[in-house]
Amino acid sequence: MVSKAEKKKILFVDDEPNVLNGLKRMLRSMRNEWDMTFASGGQEALDILVDTAMDVVVSDMRMPHIDGVRLLTEVKQRYPNTVRIILSGQAEEEAILRSIGPSHQFLSKPCDPTILKQTVSRACALRDLLENGHLRNAVSQLCSLPSMPSLYVNLLELLKEPDCTARHVSAIIEKDMGMLAKVLQLVNSAYFGPSRKVNSAKEAVTMLGMDVIKSLVFSVQVFSQFDQDKVSCLSIDELWQHSLGVGILARRIAQVECQDQRIINDAFIAGVMHDAGKLILALNLPEQYSKTIALTKEKTIPHWKAELEVFGTSHAEVGAYLLGLWGLPNSIVEAVAYHHTAQECPGDEFSPLTAVHVADAIYVSNTEHVADIFDHADKPVSNIGQPYDVDGEYLDRLNLTDRLPLWHKAALEERTQGVPI
Amino acid sequence: MSSIEELKRELERETKARQEAEDLLAQKSHELNASNLELRESEKIVRAILNTVASGIVTFDVSGLIESANQAAEQMFGHSEAEMIDTKIRDLLPDLYELETGNLREIYLQSVREEGGGLDQDAFAIRKGGQPFPVDVAVAELNTSCTTMFVAVLKDMTKHVEMQRQLVQAQKLESIGQLAAGIAHEINTPIQFVGDNVRFISDSIQDLLSLIGDYRDLVNMGEPNAIETDRSQKTQEIEEKADLPFLEEELPKALEQSLEGVDRVAQIVRAMKEFSHPGGEGKQSININEAIQNTITVAKNEWKYVAEIVTEFDSTLSLVPCLPGEFNQVILNILVNAAHAIGEVSDKESDRLGTITFTTRQNGDCAEIRIKDTGPGIPDEAKTKIFDPFFTTKEVGKGTGQGLAIAHSVITEKHGGHLTFESEMGKGTTFIIRLPLIEEAVAEDQA
Repeated sequence: MVSKAEKKKILFVDDEPNVLNGLKRMLRSMRNEWDMTFASGGQEALDILVDTAMDVVVSDMRMPHIDGVRLLTEVKQRYPNTVRIILSGQAEEEAILRSIGPSHQFLSKPCDPTILKQTVSRACALRDLLENGHLRNAVSQLCSLPSMPSLYVNLLELLKEPDCTARHVSAIIEKDMGMLAKVLQLVNSAYFGPSRKVNSAKEAVTMLGMDVIKSLVFSVQVFSQFDQDKVSCLSIDELWQHSLGVGILARRIAQVECQDQRIINDAFIAGVMHDAGKLILALNLPEQYSKTIALTKEKTIPHWKAELEVFGTSHAEVGAYLLGLWGLPNSIVEAVAYHHTAQECPGDEFSPLTAVHVADAIYVSNTEHVADIFDHADKPVSNIGQPYDVDGEYLDRLNLTDRLPLWHKAALEERTQGVPI
Repeated sequence: MSSIEELKRELERETKARQEAEDLLAQKSHELNASNLELRESEKIVRAILNTVASGIVTFDVSGLIESANQAAEQMFGHSEAEMIDTKIRDLLPDLYELETGNLREIYLQSVREEGGGLDQDAFAIRKGGQPFPVDVAVAELNTSCTTMFVAVLKDMTKHVEMQRQLVQAQKLESIGQLAAGIAHEINTPIQFVGDNVRFISDSIQDLLSLIGDYRDLVNMGEPNAIETDRSQKTQEIEEKADLPFLEEELPKALEQSLEGVDRVAQIVRAMKEFSHPGGEGKQSININEAIQNTITVAKNEWKYVAEIVTEFDSTLSLVPCLPGEFNQVILNILVNAAHAIGEVSDKESDRLGTITFTTRQNGDCAEIRIKDTGPGIPDEAKTKIFDPFFTTKEVGKGTGQGLAIAHSVITEKHGGHLTFESEMGKGTTFIIRLPLIEEAVAEDQA
């Protein structure tokens, strides 16, 4: 029996008492895991939050006086640690776009009880992924990840063209971790309604439609430009080149290994996203981040281990925490979370994690001038062309060690086709 | 002087005079010819001008016989001028004459006298084959020295009326689109809790069934001399395991609230159906209290966050002849405006909800509907404009400024009623609709 202290605290807010009663009954079976509180309005919710810290707030959107957006905006500022989920019956696109900022995920009424339970459980589980409360605050407050300036400008120009198509737009978006993460967050929110998870930029852009993409860019402004002048400790160009390169290699490896388009797509996205945590750390904690770079040189350890020393966690967990909060598919979150520590991840089959882990290693060992922050080998890479830092025990466990040369060959073919590695 | 000479001179004079007279005659006849030509020329020009005019022009005498018609009139009516000449103008324009007396209606002539031909009157004209079509008519009376004649100037309003109809349709779609989102919200909410409750009920029935199994085991196992306390302790255990006290408390409520939710969905779906498909095209006698209540239900999502609705219906009010679809549209437009007006105030100030009061009563020959809101009131400078098409004080995207203009045209033009308002800054606005309880003769004619 779980003791009361360990139960996750969930607050449900809705102005319709029948909805709260219904949730209370339907979620009765969760009472041993969740400590549930129900508030009939924004003000009541805020009053409760003064006394009780909540792990997750699930709020209706349209309520008199303090509506869902206002409530979650307050929660975001006062209790950034709390996961914010909208559960709304609203059908207007405009209203949904308005909630993008303050909420992590959007569920629409009527909501399948299983999906509601899963979403809240996942949000609770994420908290254990990132134990550093300070970092968790920082990540929870993020509405967007800044984009590569050249891609951002390209997108703006493209959208002004009268004949721009979903194909052109998604070709830009999938190259940028910030934009990619945001459209996937949106399209995987229940409002836009796919019962399955969407995991490609093209599908996401097609489903959202050009009008939504335009209002995202021009009126809601969910995409922003990275400002290199403000962040000296991280080179945006290097990060983007590395991320996209790993994405492409991971996709190629997945293609060699399986026919499942979902794994192939996930591998690409996870590859592009795998270092999103670096961006978050460098943006939010630039001083400490600079320290990690110094430490890497000083102790000749991999950068992610220096991050562990400074932050108590690495960019892998930070990035995974954000993507999890945003409701991206689990296999992507998992691949990002464990891309340096693949062996700790349960499972015995080829997965997007396998693809990203290997792609990252191959990319690094095949690139002549790798910035220290991407090098994760325990020993310096001496022999260009050999993926030394692939976790052999992990591949052994998966029975895939003999596949490595094949993947390596495929990856090198990608390079000859112009991939930036 | 000899008489011969005299005679000769006389002859010469005569000859000269005659010559002069002949010359004069020739000149006059030449002149006449020229002016004849000129006349014919100018008649041609007038004719040409008449034929280029887009308006139909028909002249007729006091007895109503057509004397001429221009090309536009030919096109409009589908008859050639020759076919029209000497036929009766009332065959083409029955509205021009009073049914009983057969006299030319004063109203068509008055308009020209008073307004100098500016004010046109609506009428129906008859095309070849008997098809009626809407026209604007102005009639002028011409008095010459010897005769009195009339000129009717006609404009075909078919396209105009069609465009107006489309505009009304577009506005209707606009508000239905807005309503649809609101209705989705109103339906999604009960569906959410009905779903949750049914899920709970379904789980609970499993629990109850297994409880029954446990009871049965207990009864069957029961040895005749089992200790009673043992049995009751066992009973308590299995009941706790099944969460029985909670189920006893919650199951009836879950059922009750599910039924309530189902009723709510049914109610709104019914109201929506009534609102959008109220019946046929023509006028029907309807219970306006019910119609208003329906519209309030359909638009619930538009007002419920800002206002409470109070209805003071006169239940003895007789049925009112009206176009139900259009009437609903008017009520919706005014209701949504009232909610927006209250929304403006409540955003800034307190958390209190405003009030929208609907009152119906009979007032003389009319049914009177008053819609009173507690909004900010209409500023003086806007008062003269609020029924103008495209006049709006709302931000872009919140309305096209058609709502009240259409409400006004529907009430006054299509129903022969009145739409007015009283407004006081800081206190609110009341819209007053008066609909005649007895249809006017004109409307019956048209129908």
